[in-house]
Amino acid sequence: MPEPLDLEYDVVADDYQTAGEASNNLKETLKMLGLPSSVVRRAAIITYEAEMNLVIHGGGGRIIANIDEEKIEIKTIDRGPGIPDIVLAVREGYTTASDHAREMGFGAGMGLPNIKRNADEFEIETEVGKGTTLRTVIVFPQDTGKE
Amino acid sequence: MAHSIRISYSACHGCVNCIKSCPTEAIRVINGSIAIIKDLCVDCGECLRACARKALGLDDDDWDLIHTHGVAEGLPDPTFFAQFGSFWLPEEAKKTLSGNGIDLLTDEAELAFDLSAYAAARIIDEMSYDQLPLISAYCPSVIGIIQLQFPELLSRVLPVKNPLEIAAELWRKKTKSYAPMTLFTPCPAKITLVREPMGKEPSSIQHIVSVRKVVHSLMASGVKVSRTEPPTKSGWRFPTWGVRGGETRHISKFSGKELTVIAVSGLRNTKDLLQQLELGRLRGVDFVECRTCDLGCFGGVAVPESRFLAHLRNRRIETEWNLSEKRAHELKELYEMPKLWHTREPIPSKQRLPLSSDLGEAMERMKQMKAIFAEMPHIDCGACGRPSCKAMAEDIVREQGEITDCIFKLREGISSLASQILSLADSQPHTIQKRR
Ligand SMILES: Nc1ncnc2c1ncn2[C@@H]1O[C@H](COP(=O)(O)OP(=O)(O)O)[C@@H](O)[C@H]1O
Ligand code: SF4
Ligand code: SF4
Ligand SMILES: [Mg+2]
Repeated sequence: MPEPLDLEYDVVADDYQTAGEASNNLKETLKMLGLPSSVVRRAAIITYEAEMNLVIHGGGGRIIANIDEEKIEIKTIDRGPGIPDIVLAVREGYTTASDHAREMGFGAGMGLPNIKRNADEFEIETEVGKGTTLRTVIVFPQDTGKE
Repeated sequence: MAHSIRISYSACHGCVNCIKSCPTEAIRVINGSIAIIKDLCVDCGECLRACARKALGLDDDDWDLIHTHGVAEGLPDPTFFAQFGSFWLPEEAKKTLSGNGIDLLTDEAELAFDLSAYAAARIIDEMSYDQLPLISAYCPSVIGIIQLQFPELLSRVLPVKNPLEIAAELWRKKTKSYAPMTLFTPCPAKITLVREPMGKEPSSIQHIVSVRKVVHSLMASGVKVSRTEPPTKSGWRFPTWGVRGGETRHISKFSGKELTVIAVSGLRNTKDLLQQLELGRLRGVDFVECRTCDLGCFGGVAVPESRFLAHLRNRRIETEWNLSEKRAHELKELYEMPKLWHTREPIPSKQRLPLSSDLGEAMERMKQMKAIFAEMPHIDCGACGRPSCKAMAEDIVREQGEITDCIFKLREGISSLASQILSLADSQPHTIQKRR
């Protein structure tokens, strides 16, 4: 079995201009690997929303994608404020986004619910004042990438 | 898939302006002149705009040849009527051009665009919230971008044939004539639409000539818009499709609901909008219209008149949206004939080949690609004939290029070779006495 492929992206806090680059980049990479378009789309949505959360809420951070022949794991790590109530945060429409972020068209409270819907595994580890780690996995459909 | 860009190899100097303009990275420079990767070209015409030497053009038909063969059946693009220094009402244009050996198929075009909007409105009205928004199928270049870059959105493309194609079919049905028909096109994309129709069904259109050629030839033979003042009212709906938002308005007027719509133009806006749609960020929107040309088809690369003026002329006109009883009845009847307007087959995706069909192998090549890319200068100079260092790295792992195609890498290679030569020159055979 070949070594997994690691991809890493740095995400800068409050940078609304370049926000979305990591998810675009990941999307191109997954396409070149020949993954099914449904997987590519789900990974793009997860990465995009997670990236936005790093920009808006997490004070910036890192996205780490790890691909092997069966699945892709997408993690985001930040040292931001943490999430006091995870259940609430994952609820549709819940948001603490600032007015500024909302003016920029972000913060509809659909990010985490969308991430959850598109992931086969979904975990949040968070500590208030310390930061948040989000871990998601998409399992490839059978027969993916077999000649 | 073919494309409809003609390359003049004698005019092309192998500069790199066009390769950087291409939104799908379809152009390479090989041996001093360009090559278009046909599966990647979406016929947006951007490379024509970028080429200062006019080495790129439309691969359209010879108007003089068509025109001298008796009466030409001309299917006008909606942009056609704003091209003659004023806005020409279609009935006026038809009358004038009949004296120039052109039978302008204005009535069929109007009916076809009406039918297309009518069918679209019915389809959208019946869709549920999560099936929406649907995407306009009108601009073939946008469809190409979706096929290549947003294949997951193909199921959202409105399953309605291009109204220009419907118009041609309506005319054939009505006249039972086999006379060849010529589409006046604003862009290469509509040429490809006719020459390489998506499904198995051949097009009913035979020839395609750019709006520019037709307008220039008519103006040269003294054709003028007879009116001095531009019209303020028009009973014609289809010319409004020449400008961004025209289709959207037409559909909205025919819908039974208050539709939420977005209409954008230009490559960047098109890609941005499609991306947001793919990311699921356009909830609550019913219909999106994208045009790759600035301001819509008036910005098409083969349209002679200033798109700003054409836009202005169009905007001044008040269009009649209420249907006559006769037309309403006619549309209802035609709508019951889906063969006429419904696309036959789903649109196939046109994704690029992966680095390998085996995932493990593709992952290995991806790692190689990243390693090669890391060593490149990252200035995207284009001297290698590729649009970017990244594309160069990709071509190398796809075995479609050599690292020495990069002039910086070549230079590094030469300099390391030079130092090797120096050190070789220093080591002398034992039979020769060392100097100094
Ligand atoms: N990385 C993070 N760090 C801190 N808080 C977060 C983070 N990600 C999400 N949250 C919290 O969860 C809420 C819901 O997130 P989400 O569903 O993405 O909606 P939105 O980003 O639109 O507010 C956010 O408003 C924020 O309070
Ligand atoms: S027409 Fe558009 S897609 Fe085709 S080669 Fe030119 S720039 Fe690229
Ligand atoms: S916007 Fe209109 S003119 Fe431009 S490529 Fe699309 S169909 Fe052709
Ligand atoms: Mg969010």
